[in-house]
Amino acid sequence: MSPRGLCAAAGVEWSKLVAQLKARIVLAACVVGPFVFAAAMRVQSSVPSDTLFGRSVTESGFAVPLVVLGFAALWVFPVVTSIVGGDIFSAEDRYGTWGTVLTRSRTRAEIFAGKVLTALCFSSAAVVALALSSVAAGLLVIGPQPLIDLSGILLPPDEALVRVALAWASVLPPAFAFTALAVLASVATRNSAAGIGLPVVAGLTMQLSTLVDGPDAIRRLLPTSAFGAWHGLLTEPSYYGPTLHGTIVSGLYLVVCLAVAYRMLLRSDIGG
Amino acid sequence: MVEGLALEAIGVSKRYGSREALCGVDLIVRPGQLHGLLGPNGAGKTTLMRILLGLVRRDAGTVRLLGSRLDSTAGPVPDGVAGFVETPAFYPYLSARKNLALLARLDGNAKSRRSDNVDEILEHIGLAPHADIAVAGYSAGMRQRLGLAAALLRSPWLLFLDEPTSSLDPGGARDVRALARRLADAGAAVVWSSHDMAEVEELCATLTVINRGQVIFCGAIDELRDLAPAAVHALHTSDDRAALDLASRRPGVKVSSDSDGSLEVSADTEGLDAYVIALGQAGIAVRALESRVRSLESLFIEITGHAESEAHVSAPHATADLAPPASPVVS
Repeated sequence: MSPRGLCAAAGVEWSKLVAQLKARIVLAACVVGPFVFAAAMRVQSSVPSDTLFGRSVTESGFAVPLVVLGFAALWVFPVVTSIVGGDIFSAEDRYGTWGTVLTRSRTRAEIFAGKVLTALCFSSAAVVALALSSVAAGLLVIGPQPLIDLSGILLPPDEALVRVALAWASVLPPAFAFTALAVLASVATRNSAAGIGLPVVAGLTMQLSTLVDGPDAIRRLLPTSAFGAWHGLLTEPSYYGPTLHGTIVSGLYLVVCLAVAYRMLLRSDIGG
Repeated sequence: MVEGLALEAIGVSKRYGSREALCGVDLIVRPGQLHGLLGPNGAGKTTLMRILLGLVRRDAGTVRLLGSRLDSTAGPVPDGVAGFVETPAFYPYLSARKNLALLARLDGNAKSRRSDNVDEILEHIGLAPHADIAVAGYSAGMRQRLGLAAALLRSPWLLFLDEPTSSLDPGGARDVRALARRLADAGAAVVWSSHDMAEVEELCATLTVINRGQVIFCGAIDELRDLAPAAVHALHTSDDRAALDLASRRPGVKVSSDSDGSLEVSADTEGLDAYVIALGQAGIAVRALESRVRSLESLFIEITGHAESEAHVSAPHATADLAPPASPVVS
């Protein structure tokens, strides 16, 4: 695989992606959603008190991105990461374009890498857009007041902003793991509905399994656990163990899913 | 210009479960050759084309395209090799121009050259007026033209075309055939897959006939023509019994009763002429004599065993130099 070939394949995939309405809608929703949430918090009297930092949402603008993060970790990330990852391979089956793409001067490895890179970039873009938008919404709609962390310590605005940024950064690895899961589903099923739906169902099942009593070892092997690892970054002193563990688990999911998906793509007959 | 063989496929085999799709198929095409790949539906033509374009893994055999060994499905298609299998497909939400630009980018063309190349080919292929319309709005014929444009973008020295005129109007089909001829004249090798004997006969000097995954003929069209049986005609006379009796005494003429009440006559042109004259001399009136199938087509049907003829055997394809017109010559 040559860097030039990878760049060409990724550039083509990105061009196709930005031409699609769904990608623009998802990114627009990531930008607009937090503002709608912050505005709703501002005008209504009740707050989401059963959510981490929910009580502080009208007192500090830095609580808004953390509430959004808690909600997104449960419902949004598996969906947003699957929308592109779960469709990027199976769309070629749907349109019948594998024969067009694979008869050019690029290897299957380059095409695979270009698609995976695009899916990961889109997942990053969605997470970053949601993060920036929720910080902006919190600061503009609520204000830059100091934030009380989970240990009850008051964090000044600059320190709160750093913690919020670290918390959002910590969900990138599991978001990538779900993207890889979606890629695998997309390659294996060659069906976009399954490619998008299966990781979402898997994410939901993983979330539910953490709510019931079960072996802790199994819970720790799920990438959804990493979505909650940021809690340790908002305590005094901060603990990074769950974040590190979640990153390793997510990395394993990423590597295994992509390796299996690549092997499947390499061995698949197109239209045969 | 390519030196050596443009395409060298030896012993290509492919099995899907218990079904053998291809069994030791050899296909050799030289530069400048317009080579027909002929066979009834399900014969294995499309599977072979897919293998040659690296879309399907072969179970056995070696493939060399323009001298480069094709590494089954992992490697890229060598530069100078292009083509499409079945109906070419594109991203429906993008315009033809954008689709081609992306394919040119995949081919590694420099950005500065891409736009000019795409415009030039769109103009050449007759899609320039529709170049900025989303492909979703294209007809099957326009997609076929776009498929050809995508192939031409690679400046091919070896071009695989699978039923390239199946969705085109007669004018479009003529243009595509002319284009294939021009490419071959310029030294490119063109593999033209079809189940239309007349089209291959008109266009190609050499051909390979595949049936049930095996090559059953490979060589020049003229060689096939030499093997061709006499043309078959339907004959209506005033006295079929006497006509049959007369035929039994004439070597080179085979006549049998057909289920539709006519006689089926199998003979070469001279034999048929002599037989018709003899019928007149014997006082048997010839009320109708019409061509049933063309000679190469009848051979094609015979060697592929497809009497139902998934190949086109209809009279409108008949050409004057090879068969008599379909309309009755005597009525």
